[in-house]
Amino acid sequence: MRHAKSLIFIGSNATEAHPISLQHILHAKEVNNAPIIVVDPRFTKLAAKATEFVRIRPGSDAAFIMGLINEIINKGWQDQEFIRTRVAGYEEMVEVAKHYTPEVVEDITGIPAEQTRRVAATLAKNRPTSLTWCMGGTQHHIGSSITRSFCILQLVLGNMGKSGGGTNIFRGHDNVQGATDMCVLSDSLPGYYGLADGSWKHWCRVWDVEYDSIVSRFPSKEWMNKKGFSLARWYEGVLMEEKIESPTPIKAMIQWGCGSNSNSQYNRVVKALNKLELLVIVDPFPTIAAAVTKTDNVYLLPSASQYETSGSVTSTSRQIQWRYKVVDPVYDSKDDYQIMDLLVNKLGFADEFYKNIKEVPEDITREINKGMLTIGYNGQTPERIKKHMESWHTFDIDDLQAKGGPCDGDYYGMPWPCWTDEHPGTPILYDISKSVKEGGLPFRNRFGEVTTYVMTGREEGQLAAKGVCNPGSEVQGGYAEFKDVVPGTNWKTDLSQKTIKTALDKGMAPFGNARARCVVWNFPDQVPIHREPLHSPRPDLVAKYPTYEDKPNHFRVNTRFKSEQKTDLVKEYPYVITTGRMVEHMGGGAETRSSKYLSELQPEMYAEINPRLANNLGIRKGDMMIIESPEGSTIRVKAFITPRVDDKTIFLPFHFAGTLMGESYLKDYPEGHAPYVVGDPGNTVTNYGYDIITQIQATKDGLCKVTRA
Amino acid sequence: MQSHSRLSAVEEDYKMGRMRFLCDTERCIDCSGCVVACKEGNHVPVGVNRRRVITMKQGEPGEKSISVACMHCSDAPCIAVCPVDAIYQRADGIVLVSKKTCIGCGYCFMACPFGAPQFPKGNVFGARGAMDKCTFCAGGPEENFSKDEKQLYGQNRIAEGKPPLCSAMCATKALLAGDADIVADVYRERVFNRGSGVNAWGWSRAYKKE
Repeated sequence: MRHAKSLIFIGSNATEAHPISLQHILHAKEVNNAPIIVVDPRFTKLAAKATEFVRIRPGSDAAFIMGLINEIINKGWQDQEFIRTRVAGYEEMVEVAKHYTPEVVEDITGIPAEQTRRVAATLAKNRPTSLTWCMGGTQHHIGSSITRSFCILQLVLGNMGKSGGGTNIFRGHDNVQGATDMCVLSDSLPGYYGLADGSWKHWCRVWDVEYDSIVSRFPSKEWMNKKGFSLARWYEGVLMEEKIESPTPIKAMIQWGCGSNSNSQYNRVVKALNKLELLVIVDPFPTIAAAVTKTDNVYLLPSASQYETSGSVTSTSRQIQWRYKVVDPVYDSKDDYQIMDLLVNKLGFADEFYKNIKEVPEDITREINKGMLTIGYNGQTPERIKKHMESWHTFDIDDLQAKGGPCDGDYYGMPWPCWTDEHPGTPILYDISKSVKEGGLPFRNRFGEVTTYVMTGREEGQLAAKGVCNPGSEVQGGYAEFKDVVPGTNWKTDLSQKTIKTALDKGMAPFGNARARCVVWNFPDQVPIHREPLHSPRPDLVAKYPTYEDKPNHFRVNTRFKSEQKTDLVKEYPYVITTGRMVEHMGGGAETRSSKYLSELQPEMYAEINPRLANNLGIRKGDMMIIESPEGSTIRVKAFITPRVDDKTIFLPFHFAGTLMGESYLKDYPEGHAPYVVGDPGNTVTNYGYDIITQIQATKDGLCKVTRA
Repeated sequence: MQSHSRLSAVEEDYKMGRMRFLCDTERCIDCSGCVVACKEGNHVPVGVNRRRVITMKQGEPGEKSISVACMHCSDAPCIAVCPVDAIYQRADGIVLVSKKTCIGCGYCFMACPFGAPQFPKGNVFGARGAMDKCTFCAGGPEENFSKDEKQLYGQNRIAEGKPPLCSAMCATKALLAGDADIVADVYRERVFNRGSGVNAWGWSRAYKKE
């Protein structure tokens, strides 16, 4: 990001959610004179540092980005050579983007047509652009389309695979990238292997356990290949009020480092927590889940903080670092490894679970090295990671490479893919200016070699154009992924890693050299388009840009789209509600609201309301307001009158919990363990709505009613 | 650090830097990291703010934030008004208070243009307790690293050769602390990088530049 010539942030308030990143963002601004464009419904603290602030209506991001793409192409600013050689489905995408003229974009998003033109020109004239999005981009029912439009914009501008370019999605906590890579999800095994039979067999080989013994742990084999419930809607599996595709309700739950008030539809979450037969909370602080449950089948296991344990963590930039223990776990707490060990032993499968794991946590990292070949987690051995930590001073702050010393040539933290234990790591994804052995990378060949598009009937090769490849590649141009180097295996499943080494020796990437696609034929919207939020403030646009058909069995739960999109809702619930972070608090806030100094700085739950709207509703500074969602849930919060939001939007931070509509749960915490500050959870009133692909909750574009309390 | 071993003690004193804070408002992002670092590191009671971040034009174009604490003024008005001479200035410019001498009258609070002096909560008349303020993380008049010093004033990082906690913790390096000459050099280089038109008041009018 330090090398960017311009930066655009959309749905990201990095100053509050990722304050440390600002040192690099401001470096680009000050040293490269890079313009900073901030696209957000709020004039955020990041907008205060921007050269251009674009106020957008929540949920209309895809329309704006497709509008930028259209304007760039109309002006002939696209990177023709990049598109010719490394992009697929471009013509089909252009056809769709044509609809989004600056005037159409203005109608949908509220962004003046002139501003869309100006932003497109700024991006075109200041390349490369670094594009960042966060939950403001993803937490919508079309979140998967919105985020794809961001990627397509960067392809059109030719900003991928370049220092200072790329899509730099900031992750929410220090090891979210690591958790994502481990696929702590209900639809994939670690390393994005999915749930296919071959994936299970691959991991069984890694774990060195019998495949049949894993099969025997499921009621029948078919459940091994089916997605489970998602974090966004697990509670439906308990409540059984929606149509559920699961043989039994969820009866027991372990919440391990999870603040339940970050879930939308929080009233339903509370109801489900109280219906569980067993709830185990593993956390350094008793979370709100411990206080809102009235049942006596809740167990609190005090876990250690990050300072009381050690192991590897993966950062936003795919760099892996070793965290050393500072002190032993205090009081009765145990670290996560100890808790897992006790649990596994009690459940009686410790022999299989710990077959390769004798030294904790080093052997866990080694098992990751052995199995997660898909994303090249194999070269970052515990020894190398620790060596990097000890040799900080030898790495160049600007290009991250060690110049001399024990890690000579390595990039700091060996950003994945790090293909072998001699590979330096890949600091920039899809960069074909360097050889693969030196950290270069083409686009992955993931979706076949030739495709015929349904939209146009056009057939197109999916491999990169002739002559386009990393330096030193044996094949001069696109090539397919490597397989059958060891018969019956491919680069992802060959545990001897001979396939990967063979590819590297040929100067080629194990996963092939293909084009990035603008058309995703397995998604309902093959090219990203705008669709009105489920609860839209613009009934006239719902007819033009309706949502999807309802989706049954979406992560086991029937999920409403079309049947939920009611055009008359706005009459009774006229204001848009959106949520976000404040810099002082974190996630559900169990930890930060238990810090007296952070609590002193942000002692109260509030809602941001524009001075004009507040005056119209008779709300004065310091007044309490009632916010009601279309689902009928309400919260009572203090009015924070500020022009950060416009006069149609209410903003809520989501870190609070501990009270609800005047009722306090302080008495329900274990004695002496209540947080210093409490408030009504913002997610009580975030609306129904889930992404069509990922089922992430749509917390950024609901509707609400506001009255003076 | 360069060794000055051939200089006499007097010469050493003469060469000693003049300590200074400078908050670069182009970089301050209102995260309050400095405030929390100060409180946590020095065990400052809730309600006493040795440092705080002030934001102007919040939520509007032109929004700017600045982190403010005791400025360790060259000609400190607090020293001038203190009736019991509890406040003094070190050779390096750091202004400190002797809590054992302070009578809690609050004159320094009235004199200070920055609202730096703080008083523990108490009654209005004569029961404010001894004044507390930013020490530049240089402790107090008691012996360096003594229990007394730590209890009354917090850490003495300057004696350890470290910068104050607030600036050490600053995410964007907006808050600069240290020898005034070096601080000025760092800031000057930033201003050059930004282009002289960026910050200078009146620039746009003088050169008719948007």
